[in-house]
Amino acid sequence: MSNRPFPDADPPVRPEDLRQAGTWLVQHGLADARPTPLLATRLMVRRRARLAGHVMLAALIMAAALAQAYGMFWSHPPMPLLVLAASTVGFLLVRLLLDRWVRRVDRRAAATLSRRAAHPLQPGWRALLGRPYATFAAASFAGAVVLALSALIVRDPAVWYAVAILLVGLFGVGIGAALQLYDLLVRPVVAEDEVSLTADVIMRIEDARELTTPTVLWALPVVLLFGSAPEWWNAAALVFMLLGLVTCVVIQARTPSSLTAARQAMSVQ
Amino acid sequence: MIVIDAASPVPPFEQLRTQLARQIQDRMLTVGSRLPTIRHLAADLGLAVNTVGRAYRELEEAGLIETRGRAGSFVSAAGQEGRERARQAAADYAAVIASVGIDTGEAIRIVQAALTPGEAASVSA
Repeated sequence: MSNRPFPDADPPVRPEDLRQAGTWLVQHGLADARPTPLLATRLMVRRRARLAGHVMLAALIMAAALAQAYGMFWSHPPMPLLVLAASTVGFLLVRLLLDRWVRRVDRRAAATLSRRAAHPLQPGWRALLGRPYATFAAASFAGAVVLALSALIVRDPAVWYAVAILLVGLFGVGIGAALQLYDLLVRPVVAEDEVSLTADVIMRIEDARELTTPTVLWALPVVLLFGSAPEWWNAAALVFMLLGLVTCVVIQARTPSSLTAARQAMSVQ
Repeated sequence: MIVIDAASPVPPFEQLRTQLARQIQDRMLTVGSRLPTIRHLAADLGLAVNTVGRAYRELEEAGLIETRGRAGSFVSAAGQEGRERARQAAADYAAVIASVGIDTGEAIRIVQAALTPGEAASVSA
């Protein structure tokens, strides 16, 4: 991999970023490769984007909880619901902007390379995400929506209001994840040799796997409806969360590591 | 993997065409495999869309790939059939060589001359 710095990269590469890139290579079984400014820049921008994404998600959950609390104590439910819908749109926009930022940094880093490497056959969602993760993500989303809708059986306006908030949040998170997954699949490759091409695939696989880990889908129903819904619903929400957690652990334990998955994705070409 | 070196004296479209053609001939890219779209591969390799388009066009003219409208470009079965025909012709030729008693070295020279049009006449003369 090239060891040249990126004078116009945004933001610049720090020694700390290079050190972290070295650690990342060792952790991913690529200890023989040297950490390069290309890799350090790409990892650093992803770390920051991921952190910002987590903060945004936390803010969305808090906004949903505040909207529900507001509706419980004051009798003007449409207003907080609108604010929450606007927050969800804002969350999606910020996610899109974060993706655009990552792409821009990737593009600038790529523009400095004199050699460019790419796949003759583009790895698809099966290679990057894999059926177990895709099925798990779809099932978790469907489960969360069914759980939310099942609470409508209760003839209580407060519960219905919470369900409306929950559905807005769930669909916001779902659309955001789908958009990010699409972006992962179509984002141009940034590589100059086999090692950086493997690193590129590993980053995509890890991003895709993290995207499909349904922590928010587990958290939102509990945050919004736990307590106000009947006992059977509370029990169902806990079972949904525990079952999801166990499935997630089993999938993570039984699926190949990101390096193995990356090598498999590249070998089928 | 496809690698394009901007510092190479070989034009980028030729680097791309050669590498794809070799991978198809070596069967690393199997018949029916869907190649990336021109726009996507151009973005991956930092090339102009026309450059990738020219490489694809030449591969298509050589019968190595085929474009199926909006579905994209695929590795063609025609190239595979061509190689099978060449193998069959080589086997027939080897049988003729054995039957008339020509040695292997001379048989190879005859083939080389046949593959180089200018020399074919001198060998037959």
